[in-house]
Amino acid sequence: MFKDLDPILHSQLRLAVMSLLIGVKEAEFTFIREKTNSTAGNLSVQINKLKDAGYIDVNKKFKDNYPLTTCKITKKGIDAFEEYVKNLQAYLKTS
Amino acid sequence: MKDATPITEQESLEIIHSMIQKAKTSYHDRGISSLLWGTVVTIASLISFLQIQFQFNLPVDIWFLVMFAIIPQIIISRNEDKTIKVKKYEDEAIDTIWMVYGISIFCLIFYLNVVPAVTDKLLVNEGIELLERNKEALGATKPFHYFIPSGFSLFLILYTLPTLVTGVVKKYKPMIVGAIICYVMFFVSCFTETKYDMLCGAIAAISCWLIPGIILQRKYLKSKVSNV
Repeated sequence: MFKDLDPILHSQLRLAVMSLLIGVKEAEFTFIREKTNSTAGNLSVQINKLKDAGYIDVNKKFKDNYPLTTCKITKKGIDAFEEYVKNLQAYLKTS
Repeated sequence: MKDATPITEQESLEIIHSMIQKAKTSYHDRGISSLLWGTVVTIASLISFLQIQFQFNLPVDIWFLVMFAIIPQIIISRNEDKTIKVKKYEDEAIDTIWMVYGISIFCLIFYLNVVPAVTDKLLVNEGIELLERNKEALGATKPFHYFIPSGFSLFLILYTLPTLVTGVVKKYKPMIVGAIICYVMFFVSCFTETKYDMLCGAIAAISCWLIPGIILQRKYLKSKVSNV
């Protein structure tokens, strides 16, 4: 019996964001945008969805008079990502 | 990257793999700190060698001046903090190792300066006087002051530690090779006179920091040009 893949994570951009954040302590919004080749608007929407799910922490502050947004994966996010990868492996083994 | 398109399990796996790789390879050390310490320690070691070789003294201790390199190092670190877009766990660990290294160097300097005088004092308190006798001058004796032999070798061991850890963690071969050369210089320095220990120190600083720093700087400039 297969578990359903987490719908929050099973989307191209959100999964990319989580995969980037899983290996780092924290990353700036511009770094994530650059690495995922996404638009600022789309990325912002997806980051908010991850934040609402409690998978990431978003910190907004000012640096040298410019707004600076940093993202950090939470414990809940790490658990969800690990579960997602486990389920993914189960799917791939059978296919 | 768009989000509306549905993805297959295989595509999910590819996204995870490629993003983890991208996060891993996003290392842009400009090598300025390596260049700074490589240059400063090399110059100080060479001047120390020349002072012993040609019997002259500078008005100030050259190693005291090396300590002043901490000031530009603080400025460099602050500027780098401003430009870094991603913080990794490994960077934090490496920064801590370099901080501990700095403290250890300070402790070693303290040890080398304090222990001989304290030992002399302790021996006097116990009623022991050490004398050195010159065989050629028909047994002429003079008081012997305790000292730590080949103290510079201890610095070479310390130089190796953070360099090797950084090289291994960052998978940066020039630093690994530099650290191995530094270990070799440590063994060589155990068998040589103090003045040659200084040359060993210069070789160690060049291989541990100066050359890796130059390579990093070149890589950084190259990546900057390709991004324009």
